[in-house]
Amino acid sequence: MKVNIQPKEGLLFNAFLVMFVIHVTQTGVGLAGLPRIVYLEAEHDGWISVLLAGVLTGIILWVMFLLLREYDSADLYGIQVDLFGKLFGRMLGVIYMVYLSSVFFDICMNYVEIVQAWIFSDMPTWVLSGVIISLAVYASLSGIRMVVGFSFISFIMTFWLVLVIISPLKYSDPTHLFPFMNTGIKNIASGIYKTSFSIIGFELLLFVYPYIQEKKKALLYAELGNLYTTILFTVVTVVCIIFFAGESLKRTIWPVLSLFKIVRLPNLERFEFIAVSFWLLIILPNLVTYLWAASKGFTRLFNIKQSKGIYIIAGVAWLGNFFIKARYQMNLVTDYIGVAGFFLAICYPAILFPIVVIKKKLRKRRQQDEEMG
Amino acid sequence: MFKWRNGKKENETPKAHSLKIEELKQQLNAELMDTSDLEFREIYKDGEHLLISFLTSMTDVKVLEDIIIKPLQARVHSPWNLETFQACLPAAQISYANQLKEIAQAMIEGKGYLYSEGEPCGILINTGKIAERSLERAETESLVYGPKISFTESLESNMNIIRANIKDPMLVMEDIEIGARGRTKGKIVYIKDIADEKNVNTFKQRIKDLSIDHIPDSTVLAQLIEDNSWTVFPQLLTTELPDRLSIVLLKGRVGVLVDRSPAAIYGPSTFFSFFESTEDVYMRWNMGLFLRMLRFFSFFFSILLTPAYVAVLTYHYEVIPSPLLVSLGESRSNVPFPPVFEALLLEFIIELLREAGARLPTKVGQTMGIVGGIVIGQAAVDAGFTSNILIIIIALSALGSFTTPSYLMGTAVRIIRFPIILLAGLWGGVGIMVAFCFLIIHVLKLSTLGTPYLAPLYPLSMKDFGYSLLRFPFQFNYMRPLSNQPGDLKRYPQKKAKKKKDVDE
Repeated sequence: MKVNIQPKEGLLFNAFLVMFVIHVTQTGVGLAGLPRIVYLEAEHDGWISVLLAGVLTGIILWVMFLLLREYDSADLYGIQVDLFGKLFGRMLGVIYMVYLSSVFFDICMNYVEIVQAWIFSDMPTWVLSGVIISLAVYASLSGIRMVVGFSFISFIMTFWLVLVIISPLKYSDPTHLFPFMNTGIKNIASGIYKTSFSIIGFELLLFVYPYIQEKKKALLYAELGNLYTTILFTVVTVVCIIFFAGESLKRTIWPVLSLFKIVRLPNLERFEFIAVSFWLLIILPNLVTYLWAASKGFTRLFNIKQSKGIYIIAGVAWLGNFFIKARYQMNLVTDYIGVAGFFLAICYPAILFPIVVIKKKLRKRRQQDEEMG
Repeated sequence: MFKWRNGKKENETPKAHSLKIEELKQQLNAELMDTSDLEFREIYKDGEHLLISFLTSMTDVKVLEDIIIKPLQARVHSPWNLETFQACLPAAQISYANQLKEIAQAMIEGKGYLYSEGEPCGILINTGKIAERSLERAETESLVYGPKISFTESLESNMNIIRANIKDPMLVMEDIEIGARGRTKGKIVYIKDIADEKNVNTFKQRIKDLSIDHIPDSTVLAQLIEDNSWTVFPQLLTTELPDRLSIVLLKGRVGVLVDRSPAAIYGPSTFFSFFESTEDVYMRWNMGLFLRMLRFFSFFFSILLTPAYVAVLTYHYEVIPSPLLVSLGESRSNVPFPPVFEALLLEFIIELLREAGARLPTKVGQTMGIVGGIVIGQAAVDAGFTSNILIIIIALSALGSFTTPSYLMGTAVRIIRFPIILLAGLWGGVGIMVAFCFLIIHVLKLSTLGTPYLAPLYPLSMKDFGYSLLRFPFQFNYMRPLSNQPGDLKRYPQKKAKKKKDVDE
């Protein structure tokens, strides 16, 4: 297996589109519940945790870029094999594939849960998840072009939802934010940790990187995408903290969707029904990107057709929903994936980078020795 | 797919005809299957023997007499050989031929064959007449503002109009022939230094690879050479407006004209180009921009309004403010059906009206208005079939679909509405979004002549927005649309376009 991939000319995309891929994959079901989760940890200073988590991902993105720069045009699957050898590298690749697939599964199940909680309480899980997964399969069969294009279109079609949170501001009380920074560093740190499930998605840079046309500019745009996500998440968290009373925010599972309840237009009320439906367009590019990245492993590691990989992962994910029977199980899965995300997306690249540098140096020295001797 | 399969043409062995006129007559008769409109005119003179053969159905007899028979009779003293013919026949185009197949084919196209016994070959002279109508106003793409002339069924006159519109020596017309039996003539039209070579070659390749007996119209050709034949969305535009074709040729697209068809095909045609009308260009930019926006808006309106009604009334009535809900409830109180059924029924009636209106002769067609407006509108509500509000919504969405300048795209819009209504009835807002996401993915997947269907939105090229998504004033459109990848990028110098004048200058 080759470490670098040389995609066809037509498959390459403009660097600025990375911005949308990163932002859109970061924004998904996680956002709907994020304010409560950080509030549980860091109370009214939760927004600082979110902001710092954004900064942390910014740093990790930079490390990822440095890591990717060591190679011409490689993705994580290739890099792992290059570093750890065929067997061990493949095993790590499979672990990452499982991780990506389970994020795919988790996003899908979380959305189904939201729909069941807000609109159709008696809709069978397997029907809706089946439809969503088939849409994701249909899209991801077109490959990277669709991943990027769909992220872009989805961003254009959904970014107006941000404007909707202006209306709850009228009823909010900014004093909720004070006293400033008194929850302690430990709580804020655990808030950062809890944000990881919502903010993951940026690790997909490790997989789309070979398909970027001007690879030097990739970092800039990826950081811009991450910046927008960070601002968005922070603003949403702040709005939730000042809008809800502390105790009620702890009990509201999806505070962002509850925010939409207050929106009132002359011919429209209860905006959350529209928002929940619209959320599908936000999470679908997410699903498509994860499915694409996970199934890419089949071609990269085992030389199996990627379309087969897509069907396999989608089928397994769909069958997986029969094992989830209650909300606490889903919570458990989400928590596990949050932990996995923290280690695989945030810590892992930081560990990988020094190994790559050392290995490259060693290799260079060996080469020099050979030339000398 | 079947249409790409390579057709192997049978190799015809070239065969010169007999030098004896009696045998030649027999050979021609055999070649043209003893058709009854095959006519021979023979002239004798001092042992010389001349034959003029033609098909009466395809020949203008008056022309034949004027340009062949009369000059020959006037020159009694010259011998009848090729030199004399060449010198005395007052015809602009003559060609020499002695291959039987070639002669027969030329006669089918309306040429007369002149042969003097003993000569190695004869002469083909165009004496054809083709039934054609005069230039008329465009019917399917009607306009308020701008040139009204439309293409006709004659390839010659269509080419004439295009040449008259663009007097650029770079304007290229390449011959094509489609259909093993129909042998329809066609032309690929493009401007050499503007059009992308790749698009021209794609067109040529696809038409060449086509193995089909006959294409009745250019719209059929468009279907056969499209990228994806399963989707409802058309991927090649057909137009009957010569000015429209000229505009797009100058933007770097490639056109195909087909004989006996009043519509020209052109590509690559992106999704947004189906919402362009020439009027947008002819009107002032602010009006054009408004109208184009209106059309996009009505597109979304048309596919989402009825499903939204169904979804809201079936599942999410909390969304409607209470004063509005009361009037909606009153209006629906007599209706015994669920909203999906009600909406599907009314949509179906509207489709029936539209189809009936299109099929009926104009005189009877007016009755359709009365039937639609009074009988169905008023009576259906009174009878408790539908609610008043639904009638308004359905009428709005029908109107919305009619604003699309391309008839094909308008029809596509009306068709995709039905599955969305069904999904809305099944799963409410989530159903609409499922359908909407599917549409987005589907449109993203499509391509036209190998280029993305959603350009310039995706892949994004902001510079082209002034041409397709929006309509900018002319000083901003100094570059040709980049998504067509034109060779010559500049329409006019940017400096001149952006020149600003100082006060009192």
